[in-house]
Amino acid sequence: MTASRRDWLVLSLGMMALIAAIGLQVDRDRRFPRSAQESDQVLYVRSGAALKRLTLGFNGIAADVYWIRALQHYGGDRLIKIPGAVRYQLLYPLLDITTTLDPHFNIAYRFGAIFLSEGYPGGPGRPDRAIELLRKGLVAMPHKWQYYHDIGFVYYWHLRDYKASAEWFQRAEAQPGAPSWLKPLAATMLVQGQDRASARLLWEQIARSEEEWLRKSATRALLQLDVLDQIDQVNAAIRRVPLSPGERYSWEMLARRGLLRGIPADPTGVLFVLDPDTGRVTVSRDSTLYPLPDEPKRLQ
Amino acid sequence: MSPAIRIEELTKDYAVGFWRKRPYRALDRLTLDIEQGEVFGFLGPNGAGKTTTLKLLMQLIFPTSGRAEILGRPVGDLAVRHRIGYLPENPSFYDYLTAEELLHYFGQLFGLSAADRRTRVASLLDRVGIGAERRLQLRKFSKGMIQRVGIAQALLNDPEVVFLDEPMSGLDPLGRRDVRALILELRDQGRTVFFSSHILSDAESLCRRVAVVAGGRLAATGKLTDILTVQVRGWELVVSNLTPELLARVMPRVRRATEISHGRYNLDLALDTPPDRLLSDLTAAGASLVSLNPLHDTLEDYFLQRVAEAGAGARAPQAEEGAHAGY
Amino acid sequence: MRAIKTVAVNVFRESVRDRVPYNLVLFAILLIASSFLLGQLTAGQDVKIIKDLGLAATSIFGLFIAIFIGIGLVSKEVERRSIYALLAKPVSRPQFIAGKYAGLVLTLAVNVAVMTCALYLILGYMSWTESAAFKATWDAPGADPAILKALLLIFVELMLVTALALFFSTFSTPILSAVLTLGFYVAGHFNADLKNFDRIVESKPAVWLARGLYHVLPDFSAFDVKTQVVHGLPVPGWYLLTTVTYGLTYIAGLLLIATFIFARRDFK
Repeated sequence: MTASRRDWLVLSLGMMALIAAIGLQVDRDRRFPRSAQESDQVLYVRSGAALKRLTLGFNGIAADVYWIRALQHYGGDRLIKIPGAVRYQLLYPLLDITTTLDPHFNIAYRFGAIFLSEGYPGGPGRPDRAIELLRKGLVAMPHKWQYYHDIGFVYYWHLRDYKASAEWFQRAEAQPGAPSWLKPLAATMLVQGQDRASARLLWEQIARSEEEWLRKSATRALLQLDVLDQIDQVNAAIRRVPLSPGERYSWEMLARRGLLRGIPADPTGVLFVLDPDTGRVTVSRDSTLYPLPDEPKRLQ
Repeated sequence: MSPAIRIEELTKDYAVGFWRKRPYRALDRLTLDIEQGEVFGFLGPNGAGKTTTLKLLMQLIFPTSGRAEILGRPVGDLAVRHRIGYLPENPSFYDYLTAEELLHYFGQLFGLSAADRRTRVASLLDRVGIGAERRLQLRKFSKGMIQRVGIAQALLNDPEVVFLDEPMSGLDPLGRRDVRALILELRDQGRTVFFSSHILSDAESLCRRVAVVAGGRLAATGKLTDILTVQVRGWELVVSNLTPELLARVMPRVRRATEISHGRYNLDLALDTPPDRLLSDLTAAGASLVSLNPLHDTLEDYFLQRVAEAGAGARAPQAEEGAHAGY
Repeated sequence: MRAIKTVAVNVFRESVRDRVPYNLVLFAILLIASSFLLGQLTAGQDVKIIKDLGLAATSIFGLFIAIFIGIGLVSKEVERRSIYALLAKPVSRPQFIAGKYAGLVLTLAVNVAVMTCALYLILGYMSWTESAAFKATWDAPGADPAILKALLLIFVELMLVTALALFFSTFSTPILSAVLTLGFYVAGHFNADLKNFDRIVESKPAVWLARGLYHVLPDFSAFDVKTQVVHGLPVPGWYLLTTVTYGLTYIAGLLLIATFIFARRDFK
């Protein structure tokens, strides 16, 4: 065998060994799933202050790592389909560690607050923790009007405390560089906080935000508001249809009566769901817009 | 008997330049045969391709084209390494080892038994003049001492063919004399020695045949005298007890006279002045001979001339082919 | 075989002459001093902390040896031209690579073995001096044989780092090799994150890229069972076996490719 042919044989053997190694890795992952080992490790250090010392000068990169872990934790737990499973229990500690390691980690405060206040099962439903996190951000950056605004928003949207909400919007408005729309917003909040129109106004402002992720969630919230309008219209129409005895609501029945031409769909294209007994229309669980924000009953 | 070393059309191109690589021909179709038992000088100025050739023979670099054999086997053959020795140019070894340990290490690679190694290492280090320092780590060694260790390691396996790349470099005059004696000793034992040098006098005193390379090409091969005698330009005669009157008398036959000290002169004679006649006249008049040396062109002059010829040859490939075959 | 062994023994001798064994002294001082100090400071957790420290130090000291000697194994010989005389001896280039690698693995093996003995000595002493009631609060016994599992994986991990360093040094400069090896080591420890990348990113190409990296990068995080061992959690034999086999196969691949690159290299 010539030297050159032997060399190429060595190279192909090496490549084969690397491929075999990947095979072994896949096999091992099948026997011993990775995610099972994960949670222990994350819990290992819970104190952000301790971690700050442990990571020496590399707080920034460590904060990035914990931010990615927080995202993974949040995203991963959203996918769990088991009802009643304990979820998101590490979300706050991870965000807390992230922001302790890097107190100027803007997106971790703002998006973290959205994660935390999101209602179960889309999030842990902890608006109190969201406000805590944003207040921590204000300690590091006392003039960030966005954080005042976000706290006001959490009070408005999740806690329905319109007075507190208006107060925080006013504080936001007092910060340097705050946009002019905050002032009317504070006023509206006091007078007609319960109005869906003011919710739309608020989300539209957020949709103009410079942060892409905030824009994304605002777009989704605006779509949800559209869906709420749509559902209101459909429900109003259905309520006008009298039900004969023994009859149940169905899209076919409504179509027969000339009420609807087809099955209405939400803006993402997923068909609405009709309750055959009550005739109430809701958004499908398959839709990305599910669950819709719950509004106080008297508003509808 | 097959030649000790056979080199056929050996060519090496390097890619040079960082961004746009272009080939640079370090060695251009070198063809040479070296007979067994001869001391062969491989001469040329720095950068001529000597070290490239030796590295190709040691498979430290691989040829672009052409082939080479040592003792009838292709150079890549591991078995042939048991029968050869190699001294790299400006050798460098592991500075954490002592001279003794280094030779034992290499001896193990040759598969020598512990007893063989002990006797062989001790006698070789004696031979190259490394005394009690052999127990010191090589980091404490001077350049000349490293060179001696390098020569010792090249002879460790009692090689049939020895390759020495600039064996005299880094050595003092005494060391050069030692190495010369060593090479002649190897010749007397019937071994083949292939050595490179850019210093002519090294070759003159050792080799039956030489090859001269310049600019990566073979400029000439043959007996050193055949190649170089025509280049003798004159004579340098040093005499003492020379009186001014005597000097004035011989002055017409002298190209230039330089006084070195009182009564001692350096006389520069033209090639057509037979120095023996003049010398006998001078000694008859009471002057005494200090030294008489032929004045060569320096090897560099010779190289320059050959490079010019090789350049001309490149324009006419046929003529160059003839030069290759001409030994 | 003889050539490989001879080259390997010389690498070992070089590391001894380069004062590598001093790290063992440092290791012993670290363990003894911290066991003494912790005895004064903490209640009940000192055996766990000694185990953590011992395993972490074995891993980190070994990592430094593997990287900084590993990158020099080949490149130093080339740079100092000592390889010229060596390769003219009856040593093929594959034998040279194998010998160099085996030599550093031998150094690391001796190093890890001595550290293991030191760790068990200290742990044994600590268990011996504690009351049985106190020992009942520990997650795992003092001189727990399970620590050997973690040490085994640390050793195979160091072998993998060495192979990586050697691989890089066959075609790049020592500094770049060190950076690359360290980079791969760190990236390989964040491998689990790459695997779960699909949880946070929707873009398919990004997920594929992350998945690809997860498989191509050496999976260093798999070798880390320190936490499990220290807390007395089970580490199944099958896990050890597949992970060690994975490591050895990956090493074989790296060394073969390194040999391929090295065999065709010109030493200008």
